[in-house]
Amino acid sequence: MKRHLSFVVVAGWGLFNGILLAVLAVYGENSIVYWLWGGAVVLLELAAVAVLASSRSGPDQHVRYRVPDRAAGAVVPIAFGFLLIALAFVYGWWLLALAGPLLLVAVALAVRGTTAREE
Amino acid sequence: MTVAPPTEKSDIGGRPVPPSGWLGWVTSTDHKRIGLLTAGTSFVLFVGMGTLALTMRAQLAQPEQELVSSHLYNQLFTIHGSGMIYLVFTPFALGMGVYLVPLQIGAPGIAMARLTLLGYWFYALGAAVMLAGFATPLRAHADGWFSYPPMADSVHSPGTGTDLWIAGVFLATTGTIIMGWTVLRKRTYGMTMLRLPVFSWSMIVSCLMVIGAFPALLAALGLLAVGRADPSMFDQNVWNIGYQHLFWFYGHPVVYVMFFPYLAAVAEVLAVFSGRRFFGYKGTVLSLLVFAALSMSVWGHHMFATGQATNDYYSLTSIALLVPAGVEYFAMVGTILGGRLRLAPPMLFALAFIPQFLIGGLTGIMVGTPVIDYHVTDSYFVVAHLHYVLFAGSAFGLFGAVYFWFPKVTGVMLGHRLGRLRFWLLVLGTNVTFLPMFALGYLGMPRRISSYASFEGFGWLNLLSSIGAAFLAAAMTVFAVNVLWTLRKRTLGSAEKAPDDPWGGHTLEWATSSPPPRLNFTPDHPVPPVTSFAPLLDLRQKQKEETAADRSRP
Repeated sequence: MKRHLSFVVVAGWGLFNGILLAVLAVYGENSIVYWLWGGAVVLLELAAVAVLASSRSGPDQHVRYRVPDRAAGAVVPIAFGFLLIALAFVYGWWLLALAGPLLLVAVALAVRGTTAREE
Repeated sequence: MTVAPPTEKSDIGGRPVPPSGWLGWVTSTDHKRIGLLTAGTSFVLFVGMGTLALTMRAQLAQPEQELVSSHLYNQLFTIHGSGMIYLVFTPFALGMGVYLVPLQIGAPGIAMARLTLLGYWFYALGAAVMLAGFATPLRAHADGWFSYPPMADSVHSPGTGTDLWIAGVFLATTGTIIMGWTVLRKRTYGMTMLRLPVFSWSMIVSCLMVIGAFPALLAALGLLAVGRADPSMFDQNVWNIGYQHLFWFYGHPVVYVMFFPYLAAVAEVLAVFSGRRFFGYKGTVLSLLVFAALSMSVWGHHMFATGQATNDYYSLTSIALLVPAGVEYFAMVGTILGGRLRLAPPMLFALAFIPQFLIGGLTGIMVGTPVIDYHVTDSYFVVAHLHYVLFAGSAFGLFGAVYFWFPKVTGVMLGHRLGRLRFWLLVLGTNVTFLPMFALGYLGMPRRISSYASFEGFGWLNLLSSIGAAFLAAAMTVFAVNVLWTLRKRTLGSAEKAPDDPWGGHTLEWATSSPPPRLNFTPDHPVPPVTSFAPLLDLRQKQKEETAADRSRP
């Protein structure tokens, strides 16, 4: 348990939410509330599983770290691409014609691994 | 910890850039730069949102004033509230975590750095989109930070301002969801979960709430967007109440995301400036987890007035919040009792946090009780309560944190004299602005009104509140001058240089240089042995004992 305490924290916290939801059920609520909070509990347990999978694949306390600078140059075009997608909901779908090529550029930068590497 | 060198140039398609260049900043995967970008952006927005608040206080200073129209006033309080919550306090807290947590746990970087950078960009672009509403023909969104339908549908709120608000909040919230995660998986050797500093624990707990609660806001915004396309949807009350459940399922935990990191910063400051180990560490960690879980269970108390919430349950869980809050207060007071207090600016803010947040917390229990809530709902009492939580509480923690970590981040000391002046202006301004609002609310002044008649008797309390707001503006001006002046002196090379550990800190970030290097720790500044949640304090105590033992030897 000590080895996977980070998993226990996330899973336990999600479970505590489940218990609080069960107490609410005793009082009675609208069904939408059960779906809403129940969904959040499921999401938290999935996050706990992700933590467990991650901690099983490597040491609990890291001894090696790789500088994650590869393809960082793709981040800004991706963000602007999604901005155009969001604005398409407001100003019309024609903006997708701009978002698409921008996201393709971002994909190309990501594949090529472009980054503005700090000297 | 071994650090793999950066990818060789032959492996990548990019080109090297100078670290101080703009391209280096906007594409950097260095957690410190992402944290600074986030905190800097949110601070600029803080000034902007504060200006909107000052305009509102000017409008309300006298009865029947017409400085701004009621439509503009509606936009001001909407963007002020939305901005402070979505764009200032939440991202600043997460930005602090992005900057500090890897340093505190002895990691050379953050997990998923590129995704974190993407989170920052979503947040910054979301902020721009939300504010762009002011430039549209019908101006910005004007339905409050919660934007209840049917008022926020396209029939009652036409124009693109609301649509831009939805798109902006969606992007900004997606960004803040992405900016979480690291503490659990990147700890250095010896850094077990129960040796994590209180601040890092607060970030774990905040991230849990972000994962659990923030998607509900995205769902609410999606529902609102669909409803604006087909307003007849909101003719059925289930969607209106459903929206409120979705919104407040996010809306209450977000207050704790805006609070825990600042509370934990206060805890760190109290311990360091009391010269003592933080009292009740394990109890505080447990209480943070319980506090956060309970915060997920109380959202219905925002809906008492709808008559469609289970009052008994939400009231019970709201009152139960007192238990973990009490444990944390006990720990904070226990830390300073018997300590050798040093009243430097960070400590002043931390000490003021304790009584001021108490007022916000206790009035929260009052409005979490249906019988009181029915009387004061949608009144200035609620405005006073939330400002005592978020301004008198969180903002004091935020500024305490800024004064505390400024030397580490910039490598220079922030002026103490201006810091003290600013502190007293802020204490005075905060209490003169927000304390009268409790009385105004209790006497029946509704919130979100742009004017009031002179016979209603709200005049002098509003005038007092507006005078307090002027003190707040003066305090912020002093702060801005202090920061800009110090940074200018740093550029000129005349600023007071900060040592690695100017305060006698307890946690690992104080073991590295000020400012920290790209990979946080170097052979010159290695990660010290982690023996508890206060490793540097352990080290100092051990050195003291060894020195004493050496002296006692014949």
